[in-house]
Amino acid sequence: MSRIYFSTWRNEFIDNRGKSVEEQTASSFKLPETYEGNRDSKAFIGWDGVALFDADVDVVRLATEYAAQYQLYSEACGRCAPGRWGGRILYDMLDKIARGQGTLADMEHIKEVSKTMMETSKCEIGKTVPVPILDLMQHFQADFLSCIEGQKASKHYDASIDYIAKVTAPCMDACPAHVDIPAYIEGVRDVRFDDSLMATRQTMPLAHTCGRVCPHPCETECRRANIDEPIAIMELKRLGADYETDHGFGFFHPVAQKPKIGKRVAVIGGGPAGLTTAYYLALEGIDVDVYEELPVLGGEVAVGVPQYRMPIEKYNQDIEAVKDLGVNFIVNTKVTADMMRAFEKEYDAIMVATGTRISKQVRCDNEREAIQGYWGAIDFLDKINLYEKYGYTLDEATRKKHNIDNEFVDLRGKTVACVGGGFTSMDVVRCSIRAGAKRVIMLYRRDEATIIKNTTYEEYHEAVEEGVEFIFHSAVAKINDENDVMKSLTIDRYELVPDPNGGRPNLEKVEGGSFDVEVDYLIPAVSQSADLALLPKEWEIEMTSWGTIKTNGKDFMTSRKGIFASGDCEYGPMTIVNAVGQAKRASSVMARYVQNGGEVTLTDSEIMEDHLRKMRVYDKKEKITGWLPGLPRQKSEILGVDERKDNNREVNFGFTQEQALDEANRCMRCYYIAMVAV
Amino acid sequence: MIEFFINGNPVKAQKGETILHVARREGYYIPTMCYLEKTAPIASCRLCVVDIKGVDGQILSCQTPPTAGIEVFTDSPNLRANRENIMRLYDVNHPLECGVCDKSGECELQNKSLEFGIASQSFSVREPSRSIQKWGLIQYDPSLCIVCERCTHVCNEVIGDDAIEILFGGYGSTVIPKNSDTLDCTFCGECIAVCPVGALISSEFKYRANAWELESIPSTCVHCSAGCALEYEVKTSNAGKSIYRVKNNFEYTTLCGAGRFGFDFATKNVHSQSALFDQAVEALQKSDAVRFGSMITNEEALLLQRLHEKTGKKLLNADAYAFKQFLANYAVTAPTALYEGTLAEVAQSDQIILVGSRIATDNPQVRYAMTMASKRNKAKISYMHSIEDALMQSIVTQFVKYEVGTEAGVMALLAKTFIDTSSDKALKAHIDSLDEGYLSAESNVGDDELAYIAKVKQRAKKTTLILGEDCYTHANANLIAQWAGLIARTTNIRVLMVPKEVNTLGVALICDVVDEQSAKAQSVFGYNAHGDYHIGVSAQDALAMPALNQQEGTITSIDKKVLTLNVALPHEGYELLDVLRSVSDERFAHTIELTPLLPQSSGYVAVAFDDLFNVIDAQGRDTRGYDLRNAPATQHALPALVEQLPEYNGTIIYHANPVLQFNALTAGIAALSTEAVLVGSAQFATAAKIGDGEKIVIETSQGRYERRFVLDESLKGTVALHPTFDLSSDALPQGYRFAKAKISKR
Repeated sequence: MSRIYFSTWRNEFIDNRGKSVEEQTASSFKLPETYEGNRDSKAFIGWDGVALFDADVDVVRLATEYAAQYQLYSEACGRCAPGRWGGRILYDMLDKIARGQGTLADMEHIKEVSKTMMETSKCEIGKTVPVPILDLMQHFQADFLSCIEGQKASKHYDASIDYIAKVTAPCMDACPAHVDIPAYIEGVRDVRFDDSLMATRQTMPLAHTCGRVCPHPCETECRRANIDEPIAIMELKRLGADYETDHGFGFFHPVAQKPKIGKRVAVIGGGPAGLTTAYYLALEGIDVDVYEELPVLGGEVAVGVPQYRMPIEKYNQDIEAVKDLGVNFIVNTKVTADMMRAFEKEYDAIMVATGTRISKQVRCDNEREAIQGYWGAIDFLDKINLYEKYGYTLDEATRKKHNIDNEFVDLRGKTVACVGGGFTSMDVVRCSIRAGAKRVIMLYRRDEATIIKNTTYEEYHEAVEEGVEFIFHSAVAKINDENDVMKSLTIDRYELVPDPNGGRPNLEKVEGGSFDVEVDYLIPAVSQSADLALLPKEWEIEMTSWGTIKTNGKDFMTSRKGIFASGDCEYGPMTIVNAVGQAKRASSVMARYVQNGGEVTLTDSEIMEDHLRKMRVYDKKEKITGWLPGLPRQKSEILGVDERKDNNREVNFGFTQEQALDEANRCMRCYYIAMVAV
Repeated sequence: MIEFFINGNPVKAQKGETILHVARREGYYIPTMCYLEKTAPIASCRLCVVDIKGVDGQILSCQTPPTAGIEVFTDSPNLRANRENIMRLYDVNHPLECGVCDKSGECELQNKSLEFGIASQSFSVREPSRSIQKWGLIQYDPSLCIVCERCTHVCNEVIGDDAIEILFGGYGSTVIPKNSDTLDCTFCGECIAVCPVGALISSEFKYRANAWELESIPSTCVHCSAGCALEYEVKTSNAGKSIYRVKNNFEYTTLCGAGRFGFDFATKNVHSQSALFDQAVEALQKSDAVRFGSMITNEEALLLQRLHEKTGKKLLNADAYAFKQFLANYAVTAPTALYEGTLAEVAQSDQIILVGSRIATDNPQVRYAMTMASKRNKAKISYMHSIEDALMQSIVTQFVKYEVGTEAGVMALLAKTFIDTSSDKALKAHIDSLDEGYLSAESNVGDDELAYIAKVKQRAKKTTLILGEDCYTHANANLIAQWAGLIARTTNIRVLMVPKEVNTLGVALICDVVDEQSAKAQSVFGYNAHGDYHIGVSAQDALAMPALNQQEGTITSIDKKVLTLNVALPHEGYELLDVLRSVSDERFAHTIELTPLLPQSSGYVAVAFDDLFNVIDAQGRDTRGYDLRNAPATQHALPALVEQLPEYNGTIIYHANPVLQFNALTAGIAALSTEAVLVGSAQFATAAKIGDGEKIVIETSQGRYERRFVLDESLKGTVALHPTFDLSSDALPQGYRFAKAKISKR
């Protein structure tokens, strides 16, 4: 049963005032009627309207408090004349009315200042703050007038009510790490790259990395897309990181590191989730030991993502930033269950961030590890990247097992088939081209549009340009070997058959469409699973149905107290930014956990973050005003196909300064304030 | 090219232009408060909003490029209402102290408040308590500040100091020093120039005059070779006429602090010098050489050249002589007689290689051009020198430290790095015969450093090679010039040389100067230089001569531009022409009659002084003076091989001046006054066994200097910086600026 009493949220006008229960309408939005646990909300007020959950809400004070939140925000901003003074005046006059000293002229002044703010403010926050205030003044005019006419304070002016506000933006909401994207873009626009980088690093330590290889879910929810094309958010992140590196500055940390507090945390895994956990815990003054199984740091981004997409010297800069805070790294150490038992006593908390490093099978006939030529994607990429990036040569056993005649993965004269469709499979085929393979085939069950959706347009087209053959609607039926040496694959073809009931079309095998293709290698890159042998059995840590560690997705503590999990081993194989986002939240929880005697808490900001994500900040139907449409998104220059396909040079040059500034100027700074009264 | 409409009329935009750019170019008025042409759009004031037909809401014209066919309207009742409201908000709590405010009369807030008819304040809020900040030459009053952010943008994007930032705090936002308690910067004062209100002001100028009382004299700065356009603002009071301040057209030009604050150098209190004049004439007649500095006009240089031609008296000027030789050697291998680079080209470059200068203090304008290249084009900047400069860190992407004295080796290695010899066998053989291993080992410039430069070059659209004073004062200057000339001829790299003084280039082009050794002069007449008898602007000179802000004439700037000087203050005494009338029978009534006679063989043009403009127009076009013609060079020879590089061991000092100081002229300006100290790193202090603040004696082959030592934590390495600005002409070290030194305590 909806508790909505009144709402103007997103043009859904609901007015249940004085209506019987049967007459009341409900909201189609996931509004935060319950704040947390059993704490009910009284009202929600935001950039696009106001919703009241309770007839007793003091609307005059609600409007005043919302203006006060803007005033607080602008205390931290002050970048434009309308916002700087308008916000202050709005609040002063609303408060004057709320405390019983207002005049009718104040109502008019509020409307006048609101109009200027809405039309000329620098960012959406200044443009939208008056929206719900004017809504309340319109629909609850009597409440305002009674304060003015009676010269008396509003009904709950002195009551103790929590007004909890959160500044957000569609892109920040969509980003799993909730990076303050408008701020880092503003740093670029202002040619203050140090500020840009510090804004990024508030929640995202891997600025070089996520400025290059992030699938940028933020761009899918960029408001600019409503008038032309989304901002190239990801690429603009690189500028701050490159500035720091190019000029040999130390590290621009987002805040000064706190003095040591005498608490210790062990992080298992030196990939994106582990590095992120270590970074934010170290900033809080906590001693962190990171244990890494491989001889190198960085996890899959280091040994999975190829050099041409993510140059290791850039990733190492991100890692150096973590080292700069005094984090202790222990490499070449695979953590065992016994070690975990010891760690539990030794450390105040443990983060498990071991990723998913077991390549799943393609599930075809005769799929056996023993066949020479059958090579899991994770191990295949490990071997390539350990050589290309760090110079580790292949050992004798590997060379023998995979029939390699050189000290590195040399595929000259060989045919490679990869089964996949995601980023990992793209890395496999493009690395195979660079390793000299004479023919590289990607087998994918679905179509071109889907592979682009699952990766990126650029990634797919670059692979095609480099000579990868894509066979869509196909799957391996059988591996054909001679004496355990791979010779060919039998491939089944599929077609999409529309569902007569109008549902999703089904993939159905084309009878008689199967064929054989001669290959030397089959690289399964369909998915990965987690190796969690390090978790002691007796801890009985709860798992998900897909074999990852279970948490509530909010505080990231596992079913065992003090043991946290984040990244792919928690979520399943996902993106870098997802791992960073989880680890950032988890590190915030852990920092409090180790200091407050083992209590797991979320901050108001984090609770609001989750509410907003549930509501979705981005509204793709919203009509945008105040921006000229049709300004094209900038595209950075990339290496020509002949310049790149036989080497590991970084493909993407990044923006020129002019492109970066033009792109940054397209950003509409869609900051919003959301506030809940509890 | 994009075609669109403004107020119904068709206009065209170039790539990169915004609606505001085009509107201004085409003469459509759009009000702004924060906009600055030379920085990225600031977009804080929001006054520049325009209407576009079919687009809901108002569009910010300063940061929005036009799209094809849009119809822009720059004025409407609604736009005007919003602009009025913004001005109302700007005026909230702005102190009504225009009567005593320095900016009154030229204040943009005043102007815009009047323009939009804001006669009263309809809102008010409680004013936070804020106090005036005194930062030396610069003062900041936060209560007057409208937080337009021009100052912070210009400091970061044009100057490169990045010394101030906004402390954001809503209506309490203020400008604060960045990462410092007090302002720690190069005191260029550009923040004062761009401030639209009276928030940032010159401490010296405060309360001295109202804007409308001042007369403006356009001229050219004389402190270094950059040839910056400036305006001396003068007023006549009971004490006579004097300069009150210097201003610049901040929209398009930039001044350093010496130019802005160092204007008080006119020769004063000159009375009845006729007896001295006769002495001077006699001394010049008796002498067999004239020694002079490069702080003279082209016309004076020509007078001296004519004296030399008529009487055979030798002309001595070590600075111009070295530069002249350098130019001559450059022309042996180069495509043109003169270098081709300019400051504007530096600012447009995306790769810059600087060799042989501590540029931030040697020539601030070159540094600003490099800053702009960095901020606008993300230029990769290779700073090649023996001493790192912390001031340059935010723009330099590669510091290449070469061993003192190995500049010729560095230049040859750069030539080898840049020049594609695949289609020229003779060139290839010549370059291959360089002993790369030796040059690399001696200079300590490694393969990886050169490889980085080569890699950047591959991608660069415009590369500039800047040659500092160390290149042309070096014993191997001929080799450096020849290899640089070869780079200019065989690659698309543009070379820019940095002449030391305001008219080093002019003197080098006009006068047949000779070196001191070969001149073997018995009796030397000094003009702004030491001699057996000397005249000039210094108090030590016998006959007082006019300073460069008391003369008409021209100078030849780093950009190879002939620029005009105008008379800001009168000079009561004699001038060089007076002396020469008596000695070499010159018949000119005024020195500027020589302007059209400047040697056309050196690229000068026969144009009268009064026909030269001194204007930077409303579009930012520099129409000042004229450009020297740069004739093609014809020799196209190969440079001599670099075989032996000198070695410098032991204690080394480098003659380099602190910010705002260049020479004896700046040293004499009270506003710029600073102590001349030896500045060194902790490593230097340890090696020289001296401590911070200790009084020391420095002895080199050229002189003995008593100094105090100051330890600078930002310095690295074993070379200390030794100032020369306070030294008189006879004590001034000549030649290569690195010197072996013996340091002892006093």
